[in-house]
Amino acid sequence: MPFDRITLFCFQASYAVALALELVQLLQPRPVQRLLSLGFGWAGFLAHTLYLVAQGPPLASQYGSTLFLAWILAIFYLYGSMHHKKLAWGVFVLPLVFGLTSFATLFGKPDFGAGDSWWERFFAVQSEKMQPWLVLHVALLLLASVGVCVGFLASVMYLIQAQRLKAKNMPDPRMQMLSLERLEAMNRRALNLAFPLLTIGMLIGLALMRQGMQSGLIEGWTDPRVLSALGLWLVFAILLYLRYGFHVRGKRVALLTLVAFPLLLLTLATAHMSTGGGP
Amino acid sequence: MRVIVIGCSFRRTPVALRERLAFDAAKLTTALDELGARYGCEAVILSTCNRVELYLAQEATQPPLDAVMIAEFLSEIHRVPSQEVQPHLYERQQQEAVRHLFRVAASLDSLIVGEGQIAGQVKQAYETAQARSSAGPLLHALFQNARLVAKRVRRETGIARGHVSVSSVAVDYVRQVFDHFHDKTILVIGAGKMGELTLRHLRHLHPLRILVTNRSPEKANAVAQGCAGIPVPWDALDDALSQADIVLSTTGAPEPIMSRSRFNKLISRRAGGPIVILDIAVPRDFDPDIHDGDRTCLFNIDDLTRIREQTLRERQQHIAPAEAIVEQEAAKFLKNWTRRRNGPIIARLNSDLEAKRQAIVRQLFSRLNGQLGEADRKYIEGAFRLLQNQFLHGPISALTEETHADTPGGSHTLLEALRKLFRLQE
Repeated sequence: MPFDRITLFCFQASYAVALALELVQLLQPRPVQRLLSLGFGWAGFLAHTLYLVAQGPPLASQYGSTLFLAWILAIFYLYGSMHHKKLAWGVFVLPLVFGLTSFATLFGKPDFGAGDSWWERFFAVQSEKMQPWLVLHVALLLLASVGVCVGFLASVMYLIQAQRLKAKNMPDPRMQMLSLERLEAMNRRALNLAFPLLTIGMLIGLALMRQGMQSGLIEGWTDPRVLSALGLWLVFAILLYLRYGFHVRGKRVALLTLVAFPLLLLTLATAHMSTGGGP
Repeated sequence: MRVIVIGCSFRRTPVALRERLAFDAAKLTTALDELGARYGCEAVILSTCNRVELYLAQEATQPPLDAVMIAEFLSEIHRVPSQEVQPHLYERQQQEAVRHLFRVAASLDSLIVGEGQIAGQVKQAYETAQARSSAGPLLHALFQNARLVAKRVRRETGIARGHVSVSSVAVDYVRQVFDHFHDKTILVIGAGKMGELTLRHLRHLHPLRILVTNRSPEKANAVAQGCAGIPVPWDALDDALSQADIVLSTTGAPEPIMSRSRFNKLISRRAGGPIVILDIAVPRDFDPDIHDGDRTCLFNIDDLTRIREQTLRERQQHIAPAEAIVEQEAAKFLKNWTRRRNGPIIARLNSDLEAKRQAIVRQLFSRLNGQLGEADRKYIEGAFRLLQNQFLHGPISALTEETHADTPGGSHTLLEALRKLFRLQE
């Protein structure tokens, strides 16, 4: 396949150039620069997509799940850039996309099992017996991760916007952002979506834990991947409890959402009951 | 053709005289018709609160219009003695006039540099002239270009960035906090004149409802009637505040009406999102310490004025690049106009000589038939073409030089001379 020659570096470099152009845009805004940045963003996304299709890294591996998460966020970046042309959208989203692709390289490229079709490799897990449930478990946790990432981005933007308002500065036209109300709503929706997905994903994970323990794939409750996922769930539960039980809003919710992000990275970094690990 | 602008502006004409020289719709149409009839020129009149300018275009052969003639014309139209008018009039011709219009349209000559209203006023002036058929080919081209120049300046520089009225700045702040307004409640406290314009701007956001409270119920009712709001008793201020998303406070109270402790008590009753308070009263109505930039955003008159001044300062930095665009566009316009005016004559001259050359060469070749090789034929043809080009070079260069030298009537005389010398048909 001609796409086999696409490497992680191809799209990582495209995202890096797009980000660099966005940063230059902050200093010296020019419409052509924004277009170029978007062009590189699209090129990166295209290469990213072709890489996922051609290579089909297992979703259940840290490498595959991180790259897939970055791919969804790349869509989020492109969608936002097209719909909010005047906003400094890329300045916030692209570092996360680029960061996640770099994070994936830390895990190393797993052996994909040549010969299978991309979707067979993509959904491959070690235990054949548990396959459908494991795939569902991984997919739900991955979608919840998207929610965590979007919540994180909304929170970062919220805190910057709130800081700007606190200082009573008018928005810099080079770095326009969404309103506080919109950012808060984005954060709320992301959390509302992520929490049920995370909960169901975790319940499936707990149900599968006994089988995992028997087959030696998981140590038990003290396993780091179980603890990190539980930690993430707990932070979410506290967030929602404060949000709806005590009507805590604004900066405090944004700050707490920021805490959830390192926990997500930890969860992504811990191995899963598969060939290479996963969320 | 010659383009002239004669007029007065806020720069050296007092408002009292500008008011007397301003054109209403009836006077404008009369003046446009009269200018054409009396002086046989194209005319566009730009009349705003800051300037009255007559843009005129006439044939180079006509006696040039000047400030004295236009002062008399204005004195007849407005019944103001011409001696009063004339010292205030300025006069710009050709490139200067083109540059002047482009600067005006791009808002570089405005009282508040970068304000957006003038571009619309220039467009309106041109459309009125179009409707009266007083704008001819030169003024059509000039005003259409002015619109494009204004757009380019706004697009490529930051001259129009930000808002410079306190009420617009207030709305900008509100937009940083809220995304939509159809579910928002605006509370107006007091009935100060200062708040009227801001309230008008806020109403354009189409809020869910407007509550109005005042110590005097009559005043509250009057303001509520004016803005389709709901009057609220002064005693219910705390309740109204707990329901409001945007507060516009403009009382004349000598002391702050809302202390931090009182505000904290009522804010705890709020279930909704953040609250934005625009305190444009002097002295201030709200304790400035309630501002946290998160749940409560308080902006007082000093904050709004500071932003306005900051925006004006920033605009100053964009004047030089904007002037460079105007300069470039003015030169481009004149070059294009010259080409457009001289083009038909040059083309006619060219085609006439081309036809003559071809006829002579054809005749020569038929006479020497059989005696010339292909190379000889090409050489002879090339020699005649060279002669034609050298012959044309002189008149075309002279015409271009004369146009750029801008001698009154110079290029027109040359054009006429070319027509007669070469017997070019119209």
